[in-house]
Amino acid sequence: MKVISTDVAVIGGGAAGCYAALELNRRGINSVIVCKGLVGKSGASIFAGNLVLSGRALGNTEDNARNTAEFLIKYHNQFLIDQPWARRCGQWLENVYYPELEEAGLYLRRDDNGNVVTSPGKIRSVAANVQGNSGVPFMDLRRKQVIRAGIPRLEETVVTALLRKRDGSVGGVFGLNYITGEYVVVLARAVILATGYSDRLHTRSTGTREMSGDGIAMAWRLGATLVNLEMQWWHTNDIADPPSWQRMQVYPNPMLGSEKSARMVNSAGEEFFNQQQDDPLAYGPYTVQLKALTKQVHAGKARYDGGYFAGFDHCDAAEVDAYTTYGKSYRQLGLRFPEDLVETAVTAHYRQGGIDVDTHTMRSSVPGLYVAGGVGGHSNGLIGLATFDGKVVADGVAADLPQLALCELPEQQVDTERRRIEALRAVRPDGVSPAKVKEKIRAVMWEKAGVEKDAASLRSALGDIADMRLDLLPRMSVSRGSAAVNYEWLDAIDVVNMLDTCELIVQSSLERQESRGPFMRRDFPRQDNGRWLVANVMRRTENGFRFEQRPYDLSIFKPDFAVKDNLEVAW
Amino acid sequence: MSLTDARRLGQFEHHDSLQARNTRLAVGDMVSVRVRRFDAEAGGAAFQEFQVPHRKWMRVLDALNWIAENAASDLAYRWFCGSKMCGTCAVRMNGREVLACWEAVEPVMTIEPLRNLPVIRDLVVDRAPFDRKLAELEPWIERTAPYPGFPEPLSHKGMKNASKALDCIGCLACYSACPVIGLGDLTDFAGPAPLVQLGQTALDPRNDPAKVARSLARTGIFNCVSCYKCEEVCPASIPIVTRVIEPLKVKAAALVPGMAKHSHALHAVVAMRGRVDPGALVLRVQGFRALANLPRLLRLFLRGKIDPIRTFLKRTTPGATAAARILRRGDRA
Repeated sequence: MKVISTDVAVIGGGAAGCYAALELNRRGINSVIVCKGLVGKSGASIFAGNLVLSGRALGNTEDNARNTAEFLIKYHNQFLIDQPWARRCGQWLENVYYPELEEAGLYLRRDDNGNVVTSPGKIRSVAANVQGNSGVPFMDLRRKQVIRAGIPRLEETVVTALLRKRDGSVGGVFGLNYITGEYVVVLARAVILATGYSDRLHTRSTGTREMSGDGIAMAWRLGATLVNLEMQWWHTNDIADPPSWQRMQVYPNPMLGSEKSARMVNSAGEEFFNQQQDDPLAYGPYTVQLKALTKQVHAGKARYDGGYFAGFDHCDAAEVDAYTTYGKSYRQLGLRFPEDLVETAVTAHYRQGGIDVDTHTMRSSVPGLYVAGGVGGHSNGLIGLATFDGKVVADGVAADLPQLALCELPEQQVDTERRRIEALRAVRPDGVSPAKVKEKIRAVMWEKAGVEKDAASLRSALGDIADMRLDLLPRMSVSRGSAAVNYEWLDAIDVVNMLDTCELIVQSSLERQESRGPFMRRDFPRQDNGRWLVANVMRRTENGFRFEQRPYDLSIFKPDFAVKDNLEVAW
Repeated sequence: MSLTDARRLGQFEHHDSLQARNTRLAVGDMVSVRVRRFDAEAGGAAFQEFQVPHRKWMRVLDALNWIAENAASDLAYRWFCGSKMCGTCAVRMNGREVLACWEAVEPVMTIEPLRNLPVIRDLVVDRAPFDRKLAELEPWIERTAPYPGFPEPLSHKGMKNASKALDCIGCLACYSACPVIGLGDLTDFAGPAPLVQLGQTALDPRNDPAKVARSLARTGIFNCVSCYKCEEVCPASIPIVTRVIEPLKVKAAALVPGMAKHSHALHAVVAMRGRVDPGALVLRVQGFRALANLPRLLRLFLRGKIDPIRTFLKRTTPGATAAARILRRGDRA
């Protein structure tokens, strides 16, 4: 077992984790990034299609700035967002974020005359090199900044538990390098959890292979308060086949340098969504799109898992190809571009909710445990928001650090965790493969806690989860007992976290008795701003949990109705 | 099909098109997959065969996932995103580097790990040699003047080659396909993937030329033989030779004294003689040091590789004049 000491353990190598580590480094504070995948190459950050312009940046008008804020608060978060935080975030993006990235070398796409290319419309965005692929050079730059700063990385290392100091605060992590099979303990003065929010918990999920709700599950086990876990976002047109392409999106967003965007067609060949026409304000119109699809599903003209189509057959190829990657998947399938449409389906995407945080410091409810990015419950994300969290958490940790002592090796906790992890490497005759259990969990979530759900389906999901704990977990078995490069073992570790996180999500979904944006309850189809314009807070108690409601500061935007059919609300 | 780059040429040679690749199999057909398994603990490598039912638009990664879920749950292969962004799932399929999530399955497939990197288990290779090489090249921007503020003056014309390099997802398919990297320690060539990653900033006009020179000096870039294998396999369709390596060679020739000695000599010989004269080339590159290895010179002479009489006495021909004119025109462009 390897033991490493540092000031701050950062769990996660995406936009939030990298920026937190870089900001700490600028303040002379040491950190170690522990990443379940490869820093800058795994997690949801690489999927950033483009960068939304905030505030008055790059010729944004006062109207543009206001639209961006409205989009973030209304369409992106359905008002379940800390509005003063959003304002601080917008100002930081405008004044610090774009200059920091460009100074470091990020190439924001220019035309031949040297103008930064933007998408037209009420909300504007820019691209890093090319639209549809911005997250790749963005995160590649972060990876290189981390290397240049000399920040140590523990990659392909799964953190399985947070460790406590003697005073009960969090001060370290226990992990497994699943390539070498070696255990690792990082002892620190504080821990930043930045594990993202795009988990693979449904049959169709956008998240990368390694995202299994670890952050939520580990924080909950230590008693962290959670919020709005039920608020699941969906991609509405990801390519239906092949299965590995389930997050390959036909981007509905406005295209750079064009007035057009993708259109969606039902099984009868009727267009039912075209973002630029149907809701020009809904930049990144995922909720508007989802509601349009739900109406088609109700009319029998589409299914959530396919039977409808998307594409650019109303555009010129040159127009789409000028600044986007959108034609690549069509061509790779041997389709004609842009003449052919492709069959699309719904995919579980971001989760709005997560770990409850103080947005001034990014402290969680557990001392010593800080949170950044999508795993936090304060906002649904964009790569800029996740980056802002990296800055705020670095400020928060730096301010607290003088009071935080280095964690001593908690031998008993380490021993207990090592036994738990070892037990998941058991080879049993007639055992169940962890991959099969994963598949089953995802199927339960897809069928019973998918786009549309009700109390009966959610209770049934809870029953299935309980059955899996009782029946499948004890029989779970790897086929090969060795420790190195044992992905089955990793799957088994993931399964435990997935069951915990799914149960929390389903419980939270039962609690919110309304429909709101992408959260659709068949038994509560109306959006209820009278009762439910609140944070759905889940607190751990000695014998389980309890829910509390916490109102939001609505000082910038507030909804203009009390109760309305959710499908009739644009956002 | 227009033959505009090496990648298209390779596909053309294989009588292959994306449409053909996606329509060879029907749903339910069996895909015959041979996977190279490797387990250091169990002592070595062996091929294992699987029959995988085809499904619509199946990718190589889907076949591997099917095998792991249904036939060999301990199969080790790396992937994260499944959508050509993370660049971690590259393997060799029927002897050709492909990104598993991007490439259509073939009816009969042999799947092997990438070459030129240590295999850890089955299809999982150790990326550390690449990471180390890349870090040595310091692939970042250093500025000679303070950043002028957002947005800074910059045009796509200035970024046209760097922009191509920025499409790189670091999948290392090119690193596996490169025959010069395959020579191991015989050369100090950094390889195509590190060069593309370096090109992202070394071909960026914002970068300090002195910094670029320092990085290029460590690349051994003139070991590249421009065979275009890297371009042929690049899943991101980056024109690696024409838009990255060749422009980097031009920079290296201009910025790093002595680095392009051989290329400069070749250029001068052709300009003067209208053809490659190996004797003149040896003389220009090695000078009279060449005489220190007389047995070698003798061997070259006996095999007809060099001809001192031609080298020293040959007169200029009209062909040589024309060649010189063409080369001068190239230098101006």
